[in-house]
Amino acid sequence: MNDPLKFTNHRIEEYALQVTYDPEEDTGTVIYNLSLIRNEDLEPALSIMKETHSTGLSVSNRVRITDAGERICSYTVPQGCSAIWTVCSITLDALLLRRGVPLNPIGGGVVEIDHRTPRRFTSMLLYRATTLDPLEVLVSQETTSILDVIHHGSGSILANMRECHMEAEALVGMVLDELTASGFSGILDFGIPNVPLLGVPVSPQYMGVAMVGGTNAMAAIKEAGYWVVTRALGGLIDIGELGYLEDY
Amino acid sequence: MSVSIRSERKYLEILRILKESHEPMGAKRLSGLMAERGFILSDRAVQYYLRYLDELGFTVKVGNRGRILTELGIAESERALVDERIGFIISKLERLAFLSSFDPETCTGSIAYNLSIVREEDLEGVASAFDEVIGAECGFFNTYRIVDADSRVPAGHAGIITACSVTLDGVLQKVGIPARLEYAGRIAFSESGPPEFVDLIGYRGTTVDPLQLFISAGLTSINRLVATGCGIALANVREVPVAARSQVEETIELMKGCGFVFPAGIGVGGFNLVERPYRLPVVAFTGMNLVGNSIERGFAIRTEIGAGSIPFSKIADST
Repeated sequence: MNDPLKFTNHRIEEYALQVTYDPEEDTGTVIYNLSLIRNEDLEPALSIMKETHSTGLSVSNRVRITDAGERICSYTVPQGCSAIWTVCSITLDALLLRRGVPLNPIGGGVVEIDHRTPRRFTSMLLYRATTLDPLEVLVSQETTSILDVIHHGSGSILANMRECHMEAEALVGMVLDELTASGFSGILDFGIPNVPLLGVPVSPQYMGVAMVGGTNAMAAIKEAGYWVVTRALGGLIDIGELGYLEDY
Repeated sequence: MSVSIRSERKYLEILRILKESHEPMGAKRLSGLMAERGFILSDRAVQYYLRYLDELGFTVKVGNRGRILTELGIAESERALVDERIGFIISKLERLAFLSSFDPETCTGSIAYNLSIVREEDLEGVASAFDEVIGAECGFFNTYRIVDADSRVPAGHAGIITACSVTLDGVLQKVGIPARLEYAGRIAFSESGPPEFVDLIGYRGTTVDPLQLFISAGLTSINRLVATGCGIALANVREVPVAARSQVEETIELMKGCGFVFPAGIGVGGFNLVERPYRLPVVAFTGMNLVGNSIERGFAIRTEIGAGSIPFSKIADST
């Protein structure tokens, strides 16, 4: 008999045990997303990634691009492709869990943005109900309009949500401040205890924290008509292996 | 949104009723249907909601015959109240399971179906893709029905009705077995061992139909499976009490006699599913494997899962 399947909430907790990133020192490992694009699309893809980042729809400015044949984290990039390594938004959950915040990862979905303000989740997959990363499969649903958000301020983006115990509010705030200082961005909305956040209810005495998905840039590249495949929650990578988006 | 959650829940229900109706509907009829669903509103209150929905551009008046949904209204019914919609996918399927009156002893009664819409010029190709899956015993039922005189099929298109696998849940319930549809999954067949699940999505944890999600994310290889015997197809998992095993097996045998497909390796128990005490998983291929194969072969095809129920004879006698 084979091993039973692992649901995403448990995968997130397993990753949390391994993430060692320290925002103040800017050292340690983070969770990455891995995306493949065609070599010839690299230039336009990079410019879309930069636009996505400057609109505030990416998790971090850290990125690495590897060419075909290069090998990193025991993965060899296929011929004709370039691999883009970016920071996965689940790194936030891992960091909060490591700091002892009572936290439940809830799920990933699509958030409607109206004039640069997040309005509500319009689709949602709960982590405890899926073995696939929700944002990885939602990229293919053609339900996002990230380019519209970038250019006009309204549209639909990928986002995920977790809930933290309200007692830990100060600690959560501190971790978020540290992360922001070290180049992480993308907190979408921060709820108040016992009140649904963007239409998603929270447990009693918990508050919701919504974050933009790490795969928004890839979904935007796809919207622009380029071929891209993404594997979210790919594995762990040392932050030192990632460069800066501005340098590409 | 300026309306409170309570009224948003009501207007979403009005949008849903209008979406299911294929003709304009007036306030009086709407108020009756709302009451059936537990929302007691006077005709006047429904009028008030409808005017509000008109203002938002979700509904439009058709003369004095009542209102229909606009494109924006259809979109809104698929976007509003995400939390409530997580439970809606399953409750829609449970309703269809309950409505299927199929009796496997006599092969009579009605079954739940999916409705696929294809361009007329693609019909032949899609039909051959469907036949491949049926030939390889990777569907849920051994035939399908082509319809053209249906108001849901736009001009220049054809509709294809396939049996929906929630029919099985309905049949089990009718013989008194509590069946609970739990997951849609990707199941891999290889030369080296028994079939095993590679991914699962719980029906009670998503606003997007999991089968559609698997297919559009390109996570199936039904084409390879029907050609070589190795590949990935989609199956549904429901759970029944362990004590019902022999009854379930008998029912499945009877259903096989009526043309339902339960190939070797598919059925009761086993697999790499999480074992739960006193619960027995029952696995069946979904009718959506037919659709998945067509999409893998490059055809554009739009499918409503659980589109309604139809007398068994209408689909079984179509070949």
